Amino acid sequence: MKMKKFIALGMAGMLSAAALVGCDKGNPGTVDPVDPVDPVDPGKQVVAPEDIIDFTMFATMEGTELNPNNEIQEIIAQKTGVRVKETWLTNQDAGEAIGALMASGDLPDFIDAGNKFNDMYAAGLLVAWDPYLEQYPNLKEMYTDAVWEQFRMADGKIYWANVFNNTYGASKATGHNDEAFWIQVRVLEEAGYPDIKTLDEYFDLIEDYYAKHPTFTNPSGEEVPIIPYTVQSADWRYFGLENPPQFLDGYPNDGSVIVERGTGKVVDYNTTPTAKAYFQKLNEEYNKKIIDSEFATQDWDTYIQKLSKGQVLGICDQNWDFNYDVQPALKDAGLDALGCEYVPLGLTMPGVTENRWHTYGDTLNNSSGCAVTINCSDPDRAFKFLSDIMEQEIHDLRFWGVEGVDYLVDEDGMYYRTQEMRDKQNNQAYRASHMCPYSYMPQWLGTSRDGKNAMQPAEQGSEFTASFSEPLRACFEAYNANGYPDFIGSVQEDNEPWFPMWSYSNTMSQTTYPEDDPDGNFKAGDDWPAAIAWIKMGDCKHEWLPKVVTAKDFDAEWEKYMKAYEACKPEDFLADMQNEVNKRIEAAK
Amino acid sequence: MANDADQNVTVENPTESESAVEVKEETAEMIDEPIVSKLIEEPASDTVEAKAKKVARQRVKVSKGEIKRQAILLILSVWFVNYGLIFYYLPLGGWIMAFQNFKLKKTFFDSLFSARFVGLKKFHFMFEFDVLKDAIHETGNIFQALKVWIDNVMFIRTLRNTLGMGILNLVTTFVMAILFAILLNEVKNKLGKKLVQTISYLPHFLSWIIVTAIIRDTLSSTGIINDLLRLFHVIDAEETYNFFMKPLWFWPIVAFANVWKETGWNAIIYLAAITAIDPCLYEAADIDGAGRIAKMRFITLPGIAPTIIILLVMNIGNVLNAGFEIQYLLGNGIIQKVSQTIDIYVLQWGISKSDFSLGTAAGMFKSAVSILLIVICNQIVKKTGHGSLF
Repeated sequence: MKMKKFIALGMAGMLSAAALVGCDKGNPGTVDPVDPVDPVDPGKQVVAPEDIIDFTMFATMEGTELNPNNEIQEIIAQKTGVRVKETWLTNQDAGEAIGALMASGDLPDFIDAGNKFNDMYAAGLLVAWDPYLEQYPNLKEMYTDAVWEQFRMADGKIYWANVFNNTYGASKATGHNDEAFWIQVRVLEEAGYPDIKTLDEYFDLIEDYYAKHPTFTNPSGEEVPIIPYTVQSADWRYFGLENPPQFLDGYPNDGSVIVERGTGKVVDYNTTPTAKAYFQKLNEEYNKKIIDSEFATQDWDTYIQKLSKGQVLGICDQNWDFNYDVQPALKDAGLDALGCEYVPLGLTMPGVTENRWHTYGDTLNNSSGCAVTINCSDPDRAFKFLSDIMEQEIHDLRFWGVEGVDYLVDEDGMYYRTQEMRDKQNNQAYRASHMCPYSYMPQWLGTSRDGKNAMQPAEQGSEFTASFSEPLRACFEAYNANGYPDFIGSVQEDNEPWFPMWSYSNTMSQTTYPEDDPDGNFKAGDDWPAAIAWIKMGDCKHEWLPKVVTAKDFDAEWEKYMKAYEACKPEDFLADMQNEVNKRIEAAK
Repeated sequence: MANDADQNVTVENPTESESAVEVKEETAEMIDEPIVSKLIEEPASDTVEAKAKKVARQRVKVSKGEIKRQAILLILSVWFVNYGLIFYYLPLGGWIMAFQNFKLKKTFFDSLFSARFVGLKKFHFMFEFDVLKDAIHETGNIFQALKVWIDNVMFIRTLRNTLGMGILNLVTTFVMAILFAILLNEVKNKLGKKLVQTISYLPHFLSWIIVTAIIRDTLSSTGIINDLLRLFHVIDAEETYNFFMKPLWFWPIVAFANVWKETGWNAIIYLAAITAIDPCLYEAADIDGAGRIAKMRFITLPGIAPTIIILLVMNIGNVLNAGFEIQYLLGNGIIQKVSQTIDIYVLQWGISKSDFSLGTAAGMFKSAVSILLIVICNQIVKKTGHGSLF
């Protein structure tokens, strides 16, 4: 009798184990292929749960993992037959994470390898897009042929496509997603909305406010000390400290060098008189205790925490680096009503009349994007999924949510949200359990295929102003601004053919050439002096910029910094950059 | 007296069990002798060692009968020998990468066989001897030249940091553990002793990420250290002393963290060694009028000396493993020149910059230095006659 029970138990155990195995990953060979989804109306197709395949994705960015059984993820899975588990960077840099993945061979199905794509390509770990581009028009549609050419590698194939900064139809942009000196609305309000054009004016404004309000009371009644200005100096996110000299001189964000307009001559912005003046100003402010005493040792999490508490008056940063986390947090805590939200300012050196902090039009970064790896068991299905999620219905699900729950449609067919819906969107727990934007997969900005709405809610005109807090609305009115770029007032013009140069310097994350020189000057695997110089320059700046800013004797410290900087051989780097500029000018002809 | 003798037998070191019977007889005889000094001059272990040597000399000849008799042992040992070969010796084949221009391909063997040999190029990249040569030429002083070399060449700097932190950690954790064990041994209150011992080794089970978070918090602008500094007016009320921006503080902080985390754990082995010391030695010392300090100095310390020596030799081989996590987690841009260790170098240039050859070369150099250190130390210990590792 006992024996029988044991056997029964054992059988039950094995059965459930088999069931678990059945759920896991799924073997595409044995599962019936899903009926092709009608591309015109994918909504009709509902995939049976057992036919849903699970893929994985890794992106070299800090992000929030979705909850298991995320509601919209399930809806998308039922419609497309694919569920993607996304994982993100945690406390490492991109190079280490991708290097470790490559060395272990344990690759995810989809990957955004950031600036390590060249390595992955050289190792042959990526699946080419080419056959699928013809098969899936949604993917092909992302870029013009000329732009696709820019993604082509030496072997004539395309392995990844950038997913950001890509506009469908008319642009609806009202945001400034780039770098700026940001300031809290309440500081401007208190000073009577002055025009701020230079660094001196900017810091004067902050000092005045801080002198009057060393602390403030947050909505939960706590007394919070104010940090007048902070900036990140850790890891690769130190651009807010490092690259303002290029903007202050009126140049756009080429990121690693200044390229003179017209002549195409490369100039090193680290050693210009503007650079010295800028760091001297920071040094002065640090010694006046206006700059956060811990700016040099804080990590990104700490930085975001400080901003989310509303205690920092001013920062210099890229919008995408902080605002996606900070703005919802401020709204969620009710700090937006106190004027803790940020608006960007386009500062320049005195005498520089034009600024280019804001880039109009799309910026193409051909050095990174979304890719499928050779570990993917069914690349066809993976690419089909990338195509499916670009269908308008799925795209709306990803960014707008479920109709009736996350947004409503008025009689003109315009999407809108009620205040309650907006509040829910600002709640991180709700987003994790309900929203599923697949934010590092192909997506559109601009106008929806219905010709009316915005592809993403942040760009919907009505949503943009309706979501404003009172102080922000007052600020927009005072400056007569329709969108964030109006605060900056950058020059509107076509981008130069070489722009942006950082898409080239970002590939210098390895010490050797990734592929053979077509002119035969070097072979893949030879030492790459420019990249070695670039890596050393980065290490040098990470060490010395905070030292220079915190120095008691600025001039002496600057001398030492310049000496250490020269030892990195920046000329090797600059020569290679000049070469690339010339190539790009040539290619654009 | 008789009770003590029994107790003595029960705490015999298990490695000496083969001669335990003889030892027992010996100690029983010795108890009758009143002179303590004689006991210390001729510790029981001497005779055991001599015995072991005798056994080693009578080597068993390999014959069919012998193989048959040891068949089970041989079969059992096959697994472990193979384990060692596969997991310790086979991977050493990868060292070939250090002399190649290794690039990752789809499979490991693909990459290994498609790579070009570049000789010692990777080592040249690491050491940059040119910098040293030029510096000697310029300054004419080897010490100044070395300083220039350390300042300018990253690998040399990481080597200095690794050695520096390794030695500092070794000395502090080692001394603290022995001191702690001896002092704890003097505590008469059994409950207090057990409590302190348990609490003191708990930090060992915390991961470094937790420990570094605690340290960061303690030393931050709102942490207790800065609060105390403000309270005692060491710094102004508005000021913050930022420990992580001062290169001089980094090594002591790392050493302190190691001491805090590992002292209790490391002391366990010494406490065990102390319990193995014959209690009648202490009684005899009492009769001779020795005080507490004298007993610690002349009985406890010599009693655990062999343990100390063995652990020292083993730990010296680990000096270059000065750590990775703590330096990685506590370091930042400003103090990178003193915080980066060889392991971080391997991660940064090997994994992160995909130069696996360089990473292998650095790792190889580290292993070579470790082996050298351990052999030198072992020879020295052998000369002093305290028993050695090999």
